[in-house]
Amino acid sequence: MIKVERAKKNWTQAELAEKVGVSRQSINSIEIGKFIPSTILALKIAKTFETSVESIFQLDSTD
Amino acid sequence: MDKVSNHLHNRVPVYALIWIISYIGCLLTIKMLSIPPKAGIIVVIIPILTFSVFIYKFYRSIFFMDEVEIKLQMEAVVFAFVFSLLLIMSLSLLELMYILNKENWSYRHLVPIFIIFYFIGLFISRRKYNFTNEKHD
Repeated sequence: MIKVERAKKNWTQAELAEKVGVSRQSINSIEIGKFIPSTILALKIAKTFETSVESIFQLDSTD
Repeated sequence: MDKVSNHLHNRVPVYALIWIISYIGCLLTIKMLSIPPKAGIIVVIIPILTFSVFIYKFYRSIFFMDEVEIKLQMEAVVFAFVFSLLLIMSLSLLELMYILNKENWSYRHLVPIFIIFYFIGLFISRRKYNFTNEKHD
């Protein structure tokens, strides 16, 4: 969902990383679902996109 | 990432390099020159000091890492610690059965192996979280 939100804003991973204050590689890890961010980081990402956490992060059927 | 964070990230490998150079220098000095024990202790202290500075800088840089980077470091250190422990345990048990040749196995031979374990751990962790420089824009 980060990718979708990023596409809406027309931001690159590097641009999002700079806005959130993490590395570009970290954004990549989160975006492809390899790393589950903490609540604080999830809230920061949501705030950057001016949306709610639920619209970006959702539970999988396996969670 | 801010300037302080970048500054620390860039400097840590420099301190690591200083430590490695001082360690190798110390090793060669002791092996090649027949220095008296008291002077030898002073030579031994040099890599201890450079290592302390490196570890302090590395520890400080952790405060400026994001959570993915912290997890990568943590997993790499855990991997290195576990395998180092396993290696020491195996060697100490082998030592009970066989007299290990001091030229082939000594504490100094373990240092680069521990470092290799750390980098293997870091490599595995980076792969696990796909923490690569590859762009996906």
